[in-house]
Amino acid sequence: MLAFGSFRSRLSFFLLCLLTPVLGGIFYYVNRNNIEYTEETINSYLELGADVFDFTRAQQAETLQAITNSLTWDFGFRTAFASNDPATLFGASLNVLDRSIGKADMLMIVDLNNNVVIDTSLQGYTQLSGAWLSLVDNADASDEGLAEAIVAIDGDPFQLIALPLYLPRQVAWIIGGFALDQNFVERVKETIVSEVSIIRRSDESDLVVVASTLSAARQQILAEQMAINSLTVASLQRISLEGEEFTTLLRNLFGSPSDELQVLAIIQRSYDENNENVVQFRTLLIEFYAVIIAISLIAVVLLSRSITQPLAKLASAVQKIEEGEYGKPVVVNSQDEIGDLANSVNSMAQGLAEKEKVRDLLGKVVSQQIAEQLLNNPVELGGEEKIVTILFSDIRGFTSFCEGLRPQEVLVELNQVLSSISNIVEKHNGVVDKFQGDAVMALFGAPIHSEFDATNAMLAALEIIDVMEIGDSRLSACIGISTGLVVAGNLGSSNRLNYSVIGDTVNLSARLESLTRLYNVTNIVSEASRDAAPNYAYMELDEVCVAGKRQAIKIFQLLGQSDQIPPEKLTMAAAFAGALKAYRAQNWSLAQRLFSQLAASCDNEALPKVFLERIDDFQINPPAEDWDGVYIFGKK
Amino acid sequence: MQIRLNLIGGFLLSILGTYGNAQSLSVKLTDGEGNPIRDAVIEILLPDEMRSEYQPGADTIVDQLDKEFVPNMSTIVSGNSVSFPNSDDILHHVYSFSPSGSFYIPLYGKGTSEQYSQAFNSVGVIEIGCNLHDWMLAYIYVAETSLSGISDDDGLAILESVPSGTFELRIWHSRLKDNDIAVTHSIEFVDGEQTNLSYTLELKRDRRIRRAPSSNRTRYR
Repeated sequence: MLAFGSFRSRLSFFLLCLLTPVLGGIFYYVNRNNIEYTEETINSYLELGADVFDFTRAQQAETLQAITNSLTWDFGFRTAFASNDPATLFGASLNVLDRSIGKADMLMIVDLNNNVVIDTSLQGYTQLSGAWLSLVDNADASDEGLAEAIVAIDGDPFQLIALPLYLPRQVAWIIGGFALDQNFVERVKETIVSEVSIIRRSDESDLVVVASTLSAARQQILAEQMAINSLTVASLQRISLEGEEFTTLLRNLFGSPSDELQVLAIIQRSYDENNENVVQFRTLLIEFYAVIIAISLIAVVLLSRSITQPLAKLASAVQKIEEGEYGKPVVVNSQDEIGDLANSVNSMAQGLAEKEKVRDLLGKVVSQQIAEQLLNNPVELGGEEKIVTILFSDIRGFTSFCEGLRPQEVLVELNQVLSSISNIVEKHNGVVDKFQGDAVMALFGAPIHSEFDATNAMLAALEIIDVMEIGDSRLSACIGISTGLVVAGNLGSSNRLNYSVIGDTVNLSARLESLTRLYNVTNIVSEASRDAAPNYAYMELDEVCVAGKRQAIKIFQLLGQSDQIPPEKLTMAAAFAGALKAYRAQNWSLAQRLFSQLAASCDNEALPKVFLERIDDFQINPPAEDWDGVYIFGKK
Repeated sequence: MQIRLNLIGGFLLSILGTYGNAQSLSVKLTDGEGNPIRDAVIEILLPDEMRSEYQPGADTIVDQLDKEFVPNMSTIVSGNSVSFPNSDDILHHVYSFSPSGSFYIPLYGKGTSEQYSQAFNSVGVIEIGCNLHDWMLAYIYVAETSLSGISDDDGLAILESVPSGTFELRIWHSRLKDNDIAVTHSIEFVDGEQTNLSYTLELKRDRRIRRAPSSNRTRYR
C-alpha cells in the first residue's frame, strides 16, 4: 500500500489513476479511428481520382472519336482520300486539329495494308509497327472497328483512338490522338482536387516527369523518390515532398517494367492536408483533457481541503481536549459526516468538561476514593457488606468557642479544623463519609478494604487528638471508634443518592464518641476495634450497654502505640484495672478506696469519680443479684 | 426483278445464238459453318469473241427508300446505266469513289431521280454510299457480260444459259478478303448437262456503319 503524506495527494493520485487510463483509452481509440478514417478517406479519394483520371481520358477519347469521325463526313476529305491526295489530306487534318480546341493533337491515316498515308506528328513512319500496329489490329478485331491505346510519341504519352474511314466501305484507319500533357493533368486536377503527374521511364533515361500539377521542385523530388521506390503500381505509397506527406497512387498507362518505355500516371493527395483535421482534433482533445485534469485536480484540492481543514481543526480540538481544554468548541460549517463528527467532538468535549467538573466537585464533596468509586462503577442503589472501622470525631468546646464570633468567622474556623481532620483521615487512607456540624464521620475499609483499616483508624485518631491539643486550647477532639459489619454502597433514591455505610457499628461509633464526655477521655474504642489493632496499648474503661443496644460491650481508651506508652500511664492503667475489678466484684469498699486513690493521683479525676458515684448509688440501691458489672445507659 | 430480267435476257440470247445448246449452272455458296451466303455474285468469264453475244444488258434502278438503297446488290453489264431515284422525303447525296466508276450526285430529292442516271463502262464493283447517311451502302457489280447472277437467301445462284465449253467462273462477295480480287474457278460446261457446283467462301467480319436506332425516330423517312 502506498503511503501518502496527505489526504490531498492520496485523492489526487487515485483521481489520476482513474482519469489517465480512461482519457488515455479514449484518446487512443478516437485518434486511431480518426487516422484510419483519414487514411480510408484519402485512399478512397485517390481511387476515385484514378477513376476520374480514366474517365476524363475516356471522355476526351470519345470527343476525339467524335472529332475524328466527323472528319469522315467531310465530302471534300472523302474526295481527297479517294483521289489519293496526301497533301490535301494532311492540310485537312491540320485544319481539324486546329478546330478541335485542344481535344485532338495528332491525326494519322493508315490504309488497310497498314501503310501510313499521312501523320501530322511527322514521326516518319511508312508502315505501322509495334504499339501502333497493335492498336489497328485491336480495332480490326473489334465489332465496331474501334480501339484505343496510349502510345509514346517522342517519349510523350498520347491517348490514341483508331477508327475506320468508310468510303462508304472501310478504306482506311484514322488514328486520332491527344497528348496526356500539362493541359490534361490540370484538367483532371480541377475535377479530383488531387495532384496529377505523368512520368516516363525509358531504358535511355531516368524517370522523367512529363506533365505534373506539382511545382518543379516537387516534380524533381517525385522523380527521385519514384526511382527509389521502383514504380510499384499495386499499392498506395506515402511520399514526402518538401516535408509534406502525399499518399500516392500509380496507374500504368503504357508499357510495363520490362519494356524499354513505360508511362505512368501518379495521383497524389496531401496526407497532411487531410490529416489537418485529425491533428486539430487531437490537439483539441489534448487541450480538453488538460482542462479536465486541471479542473479535477482543483476539485480534488478543494474537496480535500473541505475534508482536511475541518479534520485538522478537529484534531487540534481533540488534542486540546486531551490536554484538558474544553472551552472552545470546533466550528465546522458543514452538514455532512464531518459536520456530525465536529458536533460529536463538541458534545464529547462538553460531556468531558462536565464530567471533569463533576469529578472535581465530587472530589470535593465526597472523598477522592468515593469519587473514584462513583465515577468508575455503575451508580446504582444498593451496596455490599463490609467489615469497616468507623471513626467519629467531634470538637469538644466548639460551642463555647463560637460564642461571640460571627457565623462567617465560625465557618472559617470550622473549615480550618475540619480540613485538617479531613487531611489526616485521607493521609491514613480513610474516607470522610460526612461532616455533621463540627463532627466528622470517617470510614476505614470502604469503599476499599485493607487489613490495616483499624490500625489506620488508630493512627488517624492519635494524630487528630495531637493536632487538636496543639491548636486552640479551648478546643479538643473526642473520638469514638468501632469496627464491625456494615452495608456500604449508594444510599438514597435513584435520583439522589450518596455513598455511605449503615449498620450498628455506625451508631456504636457515635455512641462511643458521646461517651467520651462522660468518662472525660479523648477517645473510646470498641472491643472489636481493639482486637483489630492489637499493636496499640488500651485501657479498659468499662463494660456498657449503650443506648438502644442490649448487648454489652467493653470499651477501651486508646493510649498509644504499645512501645511508646510512658510507665506512669501503664501504672495508672493497672491501678484502674484493679479498681474496676473490685467494682465488678461488688466489693464496694475496696473499689471505693481504690477509685478514690486514683482520683487523687491521676490526671483524669473525672474517670474514677464516675465509678465512685455509681458505687454510692449501688450502696443505696444494690444491683440485681446476677449483675455482671455492665452499666446500662438509658439515653442516647 | 432485275436479276431475273438479266437471266431471261441471257436465256433468249442462248436460244437465238449459234453456239450450240445452253446449259444451266447452279452454284451453292456456304460459309465455313455451312450457312448459306447471299448477295454473292457469280460470273462466267467468256473469251472476248464470245462476249458480244451476251451484251448489252439492261439499265437498272437502285432506289433510295427509307434511307436505304433498294436493292443493295445489283449486277449490270458494262456500259449499262443505273439510275438512283430518291423515294424518301429528304435529300440524299449519292457517291462512289470506286475506281471503276467514281461519281457523285450532290443533294437531291424526290422526283428528280431521272436526271441522276449513271453509266458504268468499266467492269468492277462500284460501292455506293450516301454522304448524309453513312450506313447506306449498295454494290453494283459491273460484269463483262450478262452471264452473271446473285445468290439468294439459300446461297444459290443459278445461270440458265451457259454455253458449252470450259470457262472461268468468278465468284465475288463484298466480304471476301479482298473486294477487288474475286475467286475464279475453271469449269467445263458439257452439252446438255446441268452443272451443279458448291463452294465454301471465307468471309471477313461484316464491318460497316450500323444504322443508328434513333435514325428511325424522326418523321423524315
